[in-house]
Amino acid sequence: MALINVAAREIHCKIVYYGPGMGGKTSNLQYIHSAVPKEVKGDLLSIATETERTLFFDFLPLDLGKVRGFQTRFHLYTVPGQVLYERTRVAVLNGADGVVFVADAQKHKLEENIKSLKELAHNVTKMNKNFREFPIVLQYNKSDLPNRLPAEKLDQFLNPPALNLHWQRYEAVATRGDGVFDTLKAISRLVISRL
Amino acid sequence: MDPQLTSVIVPAEEVAQIEECLAHLVEDTQGNHALLLDKSGQVIASQGDSSRQDVTALGALIAGTFASSREVAKLLREKDFRMLFQQGVRENIFIALIDEQWILCIIFNKGTHIGLVKVLTKKATDELSGVLDRVRQQHKTRDDVLGSSFRTSMEDTIDLLFRD
Repeated sequence: MALINVAAREIHCKIVYYGPGMGGKTSNLQYIHSAVPKEVKGDLLSIATETERTLFFDFLPLDLGKVRGFQTRFHLYTVPGQVLYERTRVAVLNGADGVVFVADAQKHKLEENIKSLKELAHNVTKMNKNFREFPIVLQYNKSDLPNRLPAEKLDQFLNPPALNLHWQRYEAVATRGDGVFDTLKAISRLVISRL
Repeated sequence: MDPQLTSVIVPAEEVAQIEECLAHLVEDTQGNHALLLDKSGQVIASQGDSSRQDVTALGALIAGTFASSREVAKLLREKDFRMLFQQGVRENIFIALIDEQWILCIIFNKGTHIGLVKVLTKKATDELSGVLDRVRQQHKTRDDVLGSSFRTSMEDTIDLLFRD
């Protein structure tokens, strides 16, 4: 839930990057951190295991400066993707205004993507939110790999026309930044439109 | 609070009352810093050591700790843990939940007794609960506060800043 502080003239929104393990959620935040202007970004905070897998979350505060007199801040979080950390994902998702679902486009990851998206639906519903109306943008990451599924194929499973959700989706290569800002722009606009 | 609500607006008057309450808490406990967060980790108000530059990250981490402890509570079939205490060598943190939605956090050093912090935090949470109730019940809409052209300006800013 976004917070509008009238005295400090500040707006805070929380965006969570969700998806299966090793899908590229942290890479998204790392790229954003490396590419946005210095005055926009805060420190990228990562709570990771010794092997650099996300243990709790990554956190990147972005300060968009004054818009119509209001200091606007987006707080980006990632969840740990590994199956083991389901409860941790619930904890991080708490109070989110929007979600980027980072799917791994590789063929053998399809099942994991579907499971993770179902879990997201379950967790959003458990927060008493209407999942169909919840701001979500899809990202099909690793779309440069030879064993990837085409976006249209992934749509059939993750964004099926029959469900009428019509989420915006972007193909991406998060490690080199392709599609990262398109995704961020889309979710930011969506969250702002729902304030 | 209505779960379908997409934003909460904290009016200036309520922010001032919250800040006053936090300032009293810091003064009475001789603490270093007090913060009020919403449970998603956004800092609503902060009082105390003005050199503290890391309140945003602190807010995110404390809310994360609290959310994590709530999941632990569920596994133990508790509703939640309403208070958390973290003890350091120099500084300690005491965290209390207010009305399922807000988190009060006080940072203090070893010169202050935890018992005093507990009692005064309880008093502050009761007081803040009343103020936050008013926040919940006020009916200002986004357009009252931000103006209708905010969205267009915001979209322009997003396009300008979020690019390679």
